[in-house]
Amino acid sequence: MKKLQFYIRIYQKILVQDLKSKMSYRTDFIISTLGMILTNIVGMVTFWIMFQKFTNINGWNYHEMLFLYGFSLIALTPMQCFFDNNWNLRNHVYSGDFIKYCFRPINVFFYFISEVFDIKGIGQFFMGSVALSYAWIKLDLDVSIWILLKLFIALVTASLFMISIMNIAAATCFWIINSGYIMVTIFKFTEYARYPANIYQSVFRFCFTFIIPIAFVAYYPSLTFLRPDQIPILTQIAPLLGILFFILSYKIWMKGATTYSGTGS
Amino acid sequence: MNIKACLSLTKAGITEQMSFRLGIFTVFAGNLIYLTIIYFLWKAIFDSAPTQTVSGMSFSDTMIYLVLAMALFNFMEVYLVWIMGRNIQSGKIILDLLKPMPLISYMFFESAGFLVVNFVLTLLPTMGIVYFISGRAFSLSINLVFFFIAALLGLAINYFINFFVATICIFTESIWGINIMKEVVILLFSGASIPLAFFPEQLLKVVYKLPFQAIYNTPLTLLIGKNITILQSFQMIGIQGFWVAVTGIIAVLFFRFALRRITVNGG
Repeated sequence: MKKLQFYIRIYQKILVQDLKSKMSYRTDFIISTLGMILTNIVGMVTFWIMFQKFTNINGWNYHEMLFLYGFSLIALTPMQCFFDNNWNLRNHVYSGDFIKYCFRPINVFFYFISEVFDIKGIGQFFMGSVALSYAWIKLDLDVSIWILLKLFIALVTASLFMISIMNIAAATCFWIINSGYIMVTIFKFTEYARYPANIYQSVFRFCFTFIIPIAFVAYYPSLTFLRPDQIPILTQIAPLLGILFFILSYKIWMKGATTYSGTGS
Repeated sequence: MNIKACLSLTKAGITEQMSFRLGIFTVFAGNLIYLTIIYFLWKAIFDSAPTQTVSGMSFSDTMIYLVLAMALFNFMEVYLVWIMGRNIQSGKIILDLLKPMPLISYMFFESAGFLVVNFVLTLLPTMGIVYFISGRAFSLSINLVFFFIAALLGLAINYFINFFVATICIFTESIWGINIMKEVVILLFSGASIPLAFFPEQLLKVVYKLPFQAIYNTPLTLLIGKNITILQSFQMIGIQGFWVAVTGIIAVLFFRFALRRITVNGG
């Protein structure tokens, strides 16, 4: 418990420093936020264009698709805000800077990840909430404390999957030099998390459920709200799987960090 | 312009790219995944549609269009905004500006090696695969010539837009935000994410007045479009030429203006 308090205090300190340095690039912050919002607007426009000529995708209508989209955007936010430094990992490893994280008397993963807080994720969260609320109203879903609690759990679960996927993708750079392509590729996948997983056939559905579990980023958790009469077992155990997967990704990341031999500089 | 310098820059780019072969492999793997996903997505969309063809496009037409659009996208991707943006932030840009060649052509020939490698390793194989799998989706005649000309012009437009956007970094010191805005706008309005045929009428009118559709849509229409006369082909190439001139002039002028404002940190 004392340890947790210690880590929270350290996180606050690092966060404040990071925000201070970010504030000296105010234009960058504004443009990045605008970029994020524009990206999400274009994403919604894409759906809108598609549904001009088509009425549904495998039984999923426009508003249900928007629900999945909004849900996935919110689920991406924690990864975007708190785990963004994963994107810099390969540069630190490549240049040898990473060694500095190994010399601190705190957890390497914690220290590395806490160094960057990415504010532009907030724009994404905002757009996701707008899309989700709009779809929620249009689909005429109930609102109650119980449902909101379920929504919260579902979002946390989805975020855990998202974070874990990117942790593992980032950790590949400990073994493969210049592994930026892997992260970009995996990240591309997550953009497809917004489509219902039942459009994929057997083998691929298996892959997207158990190997690169993007189906857990929006599809499985959303079933609780969109298809309440036929919730599969995977949706029910998703929170547990999310925690296990996060622990696994942490272990892989740490394994990479301990095998890291530096560049000698 | 010194042709020898251009060629050696290109050659250096090819060598550089070839030393990251694993990278090429992963790009290839990434494309396969992307293809799988869009295959299932559009299959589901067409299976749910009441008719076989929508807006004159069947499922296989759509797939051929999207696959070739992806191949063109990979071929033309130059990461120019990132490269120039980083050089501006680190100050390395000053070394590039000192080179005895205008920056706009220096940066182009520095990326030209990547383009050559991408052309041989992604565009040509993808076209070959599409040709055989689809059972001759495009004819092998004069349209191929038009396609390659249009692809080169599209490449030029894409390069100039990228150069323009990269120049904005001089003022904003922001790379990610600028780049993502450019990317999503190009992807949507060029028809690379949804074929332009599915756009609603009103929107299409606007889209055809923008330069983005000339990047991917024009070469693709020239390659796989049905019943396109030679005259129409020349017209489309002409419009592309117009956009090359417009984007080129704007990029050069804007860069000249920006150079007067540039402040370089260290170097």
